[in-house]
Amino acid sequence: MDFDFSPAEQAFADEVDAWLVENHDPVVMDHHRENFTQLSDTPERRAFMKKLAAKGWLGMSWPKEYGGKEIEGVYEYILNEALSKHAAPQIGKGVGIIGKTLIRHGSDKLKQEFLPKVLDADVEFAVGYSEPAAGSDAANMQLKAEKVEGGYLLNGQKMWTTSAHFADWYWVGARTDPDKPRHDGLSLFLIPMDHPGLEVQSLPTIGKDTTNQVFFENVFVPDEYLVGKRGRGFHMISEALDLERFTMFTLSPIANRTEVLVDWVKKAKRDDAPLKDDPNVRRTIAQIVTDTAVAKGLSTRFVCAAKSGGKPPTIESSQYKLFTTSLSQRVCKDALDIQGHEGTLMEGQEDAPILGRFEGAYRATMNETVGGGSSEIQKNIIARRHLGLPKNF
Amino acid sequence: MDLDLTEEQQMVIDMTRGMLAEHSTTAIVRDMEDDPKGYPEALWKQMSELGLNGLLIPEAYGGGGQTLLEGAFVYEELGRAMAPTPHFVSCVMSAGVLLEAGSEDQKQAWLGSEDQKQAWLGRIANGDAILTPAWLEPQRGFGEAGIAISATADGYGFKLNCRKRLVAYASSAARLIVLARTKAGVDLFLVDPRAKGIQMQQLLSQGREAQYQIDFADVKVAAADRIGAPGSGWKTWHKVMLQGVTLLAAQAIGGAARCLEETVVYANQRVQFDKPLGAFQALAHYMADASTRIDGGRVLVHEAAWNHAQGRSIERFGPMAKLFCCETYRETTRVCAQIWGGVAFTIEYDQQMFFRRAKALQLSWWDGPYLEELIAKDVLDK
Repeated sequence: MDFDFSPAEQAFADEVDAWLVENHDPVVMDHHRENFTQLSDTPERRAFMKKLAAKGWLGMSWPKEYGGKEIEGVYEYILNEALSKHAAPQIGKGVGIIGKTLIRHGSDKLKQEFLPKVLDADVEFAVGYSEPAAGSDAANMQLKAEKVEGGYLLNGQKMWTTSAHFADWYWVGARTDPDKPRHDGLSLFLIPMDHPGLEVQSLPTIGKDTTNQVFFENVFVPDEYLVGKRGRGFHMISEALDLERFTMFTLSPIANRTEVLVDWVKKAKRDDAPLKDDPNVRRTIAQIVTDTAVAKGLSTRFVCAAKSGGKPPTIESSQYKLFTTSLSQRVCKDALDIQGHEGTLMEGQEDAPILGRFEGAYRATMNETVGGGSSEIQKNIIARRHLGLPKNF
Repeated sequence: MDLDLTEEQQMVIDMTRGMLAEHSTTAIVRDMEDDPKGYPEALWKQMSELGLNGLLIPEAYGGGGQTLLEGAFVYEELGRAMAPTPHFVSCVMSAGVLLEAGSEDQKQAWLGSEDQKQAWLGRIANGDAILTPAWLEPQRGFGEAGIAISATADGYGFKLNCRKRLVAYASSAARLIVLARTKAGVDLFLVDPRAKGIQMQQLLSQGREAQYQIDFADVKVAAADRIGAPGSGWKTWHKVMLQGVTLLAAQAIGGAARCLEETVVYANQRVQFDKPLGAFQALAHYMADASTRIDGGRVLVHEAAWNHAQGRSIERFGPMAKLFCCETYRETTRVCAQIWGGVAFTIEYDQQMFFRRAKALQLSWWDGPYLEELIAKDVLDK
């Protein structure tokens, strides 16, 4: 048992951290964007990702023949934790879900077209799985992909495509074979985001950022932009989720909020008395700090399970996501309770505590227990696959 | 970073679990409830023979010299089995006090310290002697202020006058370790429970282990029976408590894990509305939440114990582990009772045994508010 990084891992963590301090840029790194800091959605943030690519930090876990370094996934975990700690954009869909799926299942053409661009941070993707009738029930996608001469014709709608308003390419699941069992009738496609017939409609959220719905009207996709085999879409989606445990839901933003709150409580006063002497505040802080340590333990658990290279750490990952997202919300709620009436002041208002960080975070984290597999879905996974309880839905 | 156990660690776990399956069955645990002695001789003998009683005592004093991490593995098993033993009071707290006292001022080589270690540690390790701390006082708390003035100078020694509560396994104790206040501060004294002026009365309590109230009336204690330098008692006690609560956190995780396992088995068998209980999401989600807290709490305990084994401070980790794991144990027994339904309320079923022990453990050896204040102090006041 060892709770420290190995010397090599620690050296890499220190290197990344020092580099991020050196390359600090408030335009690129803004904690107030909360979870959306992970997106590379502005020219400045894309330029930052180019610098990261130049360091050789993209695709480190990929096979050498595709430009990777074949090093352990834990280094990508270390990198993303450091990036999110500094509120910088993270390596995400391109290196993870899309890159790894193309490496395993993509044609030579798709590999040659996309993998070098991912490594050079020259492409941003949007991922389209969710639909109006396919939320937690992801296998229920209805976007129609009809086989036509030389390709497929796509008609229908996607929901919650976070990056659609700035991405270059769309990674989309669609139903090619409606007569087959529903898990075997889905296929994956790559479509340029500016394709005629694709209409992106912004859905403003209660947080700082926007998500989108995307409408497809006779969008033609040539055969060569079908990813892998027709009908294998759902299986590739599931496999990619299992391959991609290292770069999901970083803990640093939550640890950072806890730290920021503690630092503020140490200095704040109410009615001329130090706030930290209030027994209720002390109790709340003790509980938050303890639960944050447990969240770190659960993350250690899934990183170690992933490192062992055995079966995918599905259960560990579900437990981590379940616990951490609800903690994340509670930290924001407790922070506002501690701040009292001044907690309602928004960013930019004079005297907003911690520049209004928690007023914004309270809104921004609302979706964490829903997106990326809701808490209830995680509990179903834990109940069935960890505890061996019967299927319950 | 890895959470793997060594072969030796796995062996300790398997050996302990195997022994407890025979010597700490729920029938045996039930038998020991409210028993004046409170532990079965056969279990105690087995624990000694397997080296569990000396596990944390250095080899130089006849123990196994293992770290708090191995201790945590064993305590999770003791918790699973609800093992009725004086191990914690004797082999952890009393042995710990004897080991910690004077360890910081080696130069002073406090008179008697080494003699006390020689006299007791070997006998604790082989199970021949049981020592137990007499700590808590009526209407007083877990903190240093909880020790009221009670030891007055008397010639070359002291005279004790106080009432101590919840002294576990006192009826079998060869010595009590009494926390008392002298002019120098809080001191720790080795006291023979058969000494003149001592009266003992068994208390019934929620965990149903052998608990006693002890009255000290002008009990004479020799100066040589003070443990450590004058006024160093509280510091020693606090340091040993940090290790103790880490082990109790492991014990809580063991109890919670077993309670949940038995509930999962039941939820797969018991049918209502033509479905096993586990097929109802309302119930399955209770169990999923409990398992997440148990698995997370276990890592926290291991991290605390590992840090101690590395020589790092557990001033924050120890209290965090007990705070989280005891609440996890309590909450797990609550939702499990909900899943068992009416039968959990009966004495016949074992659920009630976990249910009572979980709350009792949470309230003992530093309760929630005391732990929270320790954590807050470490986070906010440094």
